[in-house]
Amino acid sequence: MIENSFNRRGFLKVLGWGGATVALSGCGNTSVEDGKEFVTSYVQTADYIIPSIGTYFNSTCAQCNAGCGIMGRVREGRVLKLEGNPKSPINNGKMCGLGQAGVQAHYNPDRIREPLLRNGDKGEAITWEKALALINEKVGGVKAENVAFLTGGVSGHVKALLKNYLDALGSGHHYVYEAVAPSVVRVANKKAYGVEMPRLRLDKAKVIVSFGADFLGAWISPVHFSQQYARFRKADKGERGVLVQVESKMTLTGANADRWLAIRPGTEGILALGLINALAAAGRSVPGDVVAAVKEYTVDRVSKDTGVSAEHIGKLAALLKERSPSLIIAGSAVEGYAHGSQNATAIALLNQVLGNVGKTVEAPSSVPFPQMAPTPGNRFALQALNDNMAQDKVKVLFSYGANPVFTAPASMKLKENLKKVPFKVAFAHYMDETAVEADLVLPLNSALEDWATAMPEYIAEGAQLSIQQPLMEKLYPGTLGMGDILLALLKQRRPDEYKGYEDFYSYLRSAMVSIKGVLGGANEDDDTFWDTALSRGVVKLVGAPVNISSNASAKGLVVPAPFVEDSAYPLHLIPAVSASMRDGRNANEPWLQESPDPLTTIVWDSWVEMHPKTAAKLGIVEGDIVEVASKSGAIKAQVYVFTGIHPDVISVPLGYGHEAMGRYAKGVGVNAFKILDPIFDKETGELAMHETRVKVTKAGQRVVIVKDEGPAGGNQMGRKIAVRMSSSKVNLSEEV
Amino acid sequence: MSITNLLENWSDFRQQHPSEDRPHREYKWAMSIDLDACTGCNACSVACYAENNLPVVGKEKFAHGHSHHWIRIERYWDNDGREFADQGAQFLPMLCQQCESAPCETVCPVGATNHTADGLNSQVYNRCVGSRYCNANCPYKARYFNWYDYPTTDNVWPEPMNQQLNPDVTVRGKGVMEKCTFCVQRLTVAKSNARSEGRSVLDGEVQTACQQVCPTGAISFGNLVDPSAKVGKQWKQQQVELNKDKQAKDATESAAKLRGYRILEELRTYPSVMYLEQLRESAI
Repeated sequence: MIENSFNRRGFLKVLGWGGATVALSGCGNTSVEDGKEFVTSYVQTADYIIPSIGTYFNSTCAQCNAGCGIMGRVREGRVLKLEGNPKSPINNGKMCGLGQAGVQAHYNPDRIREPLLRNGDKGEAITWEKALALINEKVGGVKAENVAFLTGGVSGHVKALLKNYLDALGSGHHYVYEAVAPSVVRVANKKAYGVEMPRLRLDKAKVIVSFGADFLGAWISPVHFSQQYARFRKADKGERGVLVQVESKMTLTGANADRWLAIRPGTEGILALGLINALAAAGRSVPGDVVAAVKEYTVDRVSKDTGVSAEHIGKLAALLKERSPSLIIAGSAVEGYAHGSQNATAIALLNQVLGNVGKTVEAPSSVPFPQMAPTPGNRFALQALNDNMAQDKVKVLFSYGANPVFTAPASMKLKENLKKVPFKVAFAHYMDETAVEADLVLPLNSALEDWATAMPEYIAEGAQLSIQQPLMEKLYPGTLGMGDILLALLKQRRPDEYKGYEDFYSYLRSAMVSIKGVLGGANEDDDTFWDTALSRGVVKLVGAPVNISSNASAKGLVVPAPFVEDSAYPLHLIPAVSASMRDGRNANEPWLQESPDPLTTIVWDSWVEMHPKTAAKLGIVEGDIVEVASKSGAIKAQVYVFTGIHPDVISVPLGYGHEAMGRYAKGVGVNAFKILDPIFDKETGELAMHETRVKVTKAGQRVVIVKDEGPAGGNQMGRKIAVRMSSSKVNLSEEV
Repeated sequence: MSITNLLENWSDFRQQHPSEDRPHREYKWAMSIDLDACTGCNACSVACYAENNLPVVGKEKFAHGHSHHWIRIERYWDNDGREFADQGAQFLPMLCQQCESAPCETVCPVGATNHTADGLNSQVYNRCVGSRYCNANCPYKARYFNWYDYPTTDNVWPEPMNQQLNPDVTVRGKGVMEKCTFCVQRLTVAKSNARSEGRSVLDGEVQTACQQVCPTGAISFGNLVDPSAKVGKQWKQQQVELNKDKQAKDATESAAKLRGYRILEELRTYPSVMYLEQLRESAI
């Protein structure tokens, strides 16, 4: 038995009204046994399908927003494994562990199988006709301005339909929310470069200085960046790129750096300005006003403020001066403070001074169809929705692709405010924390049984529309795709416009075919165009070039002095975004729970990372259960002691601590979102994720941490197992 | 194959690797893993779960050391007493090294694990009696034992998760030893396809699941007998020879400039996996 086993009695109790799903749907998933369906012999199948031989179909991964192309291996009508689609310029045939686990989202035993309507504290199964009629009745009974639609990042045809539905209602209240998006950096980029998401050319850089950007793990488009990283490390000319990572808590990217610099939390901007000053002093040409603005940031002062040694600041400045082009990246660690915008701007300024803009920071191309362009989510959206709910301005709430009850800090009182909304509809795969609170739960098709198109926020080259197509028949007749639901809702409002489309598939096909000219199919007949698009999985678009600018300016740029210590809450909490768990939406996929965290090797639980010095000061050893208390709440978890973290900092991974969702997620670990303090970036109003101060006290118990690492704790004991050498000794261009 | 034939031509049937006068005929599968490209992201490990029907054992059994990750990422620190792990970690994907002279093979009381003609260390599930001697004798800790009957254990493959199981790979029951097979089910298909076309498997025609998924392309896999194969070129350039327990280059100065090595080679296991050392810049 898995320790956090599925206890049906307890499950029903906490879930409250999940009972009907379990009871009514039973365990079978085919209607063949009960005679509702015929078994068609494989004698009558398509030519290319041979029993026992896998056939591959292209689609798009929906495990995160990066939009990697995938191909699913389908055998005897079942999808068995996902591989990367070599034709997608984002991932070129490669994938990550999170993407691999997509099949476990599809075959998950805890998926919701039919629409559920709240009856007291229970959920009663109802038909889709009733569910959709109920929605029509509810939205018809309130003013349009009181209807709110909360989603995660959206793009493609689903986004277009959603906008049309909101227009049809006369409401523009669409809140696009992502709990761990780079939302402050986007705004800073827009100011500095003129674009929110410039193309980062890691492969062209000779030096990368990443300020807390975990681009190999969980940041923006990790599979794409990993491939660029491989070319950066082993360039065609043989010169190996140098990676320096500056952060307070080691990320996977930090673990791969040539030099990992532990910095005092929040002082990243100071180091960036200090480097500009050091570069100017070393003879690099820097505009006069910038020199004047950074002259206070002497090596000694910067070293004192940031905790990075003067030796390393000097070496880093020398490296940046000698090896060009370089690339400076501002990641999530930078933007997590009340002065996150200033930090990000200081880093953009460093990029500009080094002349990287236009070389390693490139312009993306524009997207030709703005109605399908990605709308990336941020944290401010949830704040705005929450305020409106608190003021009783929301009467009907739709939630899709977000789990705000899980990801909102306790201080927002979101769960209480949600109760003020009379009718809440959750489009969901699982009975997650938000679905449990809803009045109507509508079960979605899995990403492997659904039609959609997607335009990722970060596109590697040109512009593209990624196609998500079903890789097999639906497992449950009672689920529906988001596109189909929106189409049905639109038919209620604008029947004349949409009645011609039988389902979302026919809408999508006709929408794509009608613009085939701009999608590269001008000379093809409709069927050929459509079949080609599906078989490739990716449609290239011709986007207009966008100009990138160097607008970062020292004017008005103030980076505050380092923190004043708080004696009541002496430590900084960094909520870590791990490659598998992210914001917790994939926590019910057991491969991810059992995939060890790369740095700590811990599985199936949360942990508190702590530096040995801090642990010694507090009298803590590995496995001690501690209470981590902030002004907004407290959690308890096991301590893992290691040297990849600044002594002033502790870190707890996000995504764990579900109270609902399913057998593999529920009750595993603790939810670090809950104890985040309500402190916001001053310019953008985004929740400052790294601002929370905490105190740590021993809770009395001690456990043996369940992890993959052996008792030697990462020490090779003198054996030659994993070997390291100096890059100056090797000539990589001679290698195969 | 009659017993007389077997006894008379014993030396032909017995695989005597490593040996220079008995080279592999058609295939010798081998791998090389570039530790400077490996980022420790774990994608290979998850892909292996998907391809090879590995059970998720849960927290309690993981704590008992019962996890089944045929490829796992070992993570080492080289702090040397410094305050921080300021040169990062050392990640190492560890899998069955498909040793040419495998310590696990000689101790198997029933011949369940033995060497194939194409240089794989194979595990015959229906011959295995679960003595676990092989496990005890493996210096790489690359063998995993089925202490439980996972197909019938709660929440390992509950309906409908069992529909994801790869029909090309046996689902193992209780009491059986298992380990990395170099995705033998893929090799078999590739060899069969090639044979029906009257040729050998081409380089790149078959990929292992871990190799196919790896975001940085750190893993190369192929046929060492094929002179055009990338993996063979890598071994040659790095001067790592399959049939040696001490590489000639180690006695010369060129060793300091070459990254290729095999783990615990001195134990005379003759592993089929070559690793390339991780690099770190000295200017910073």
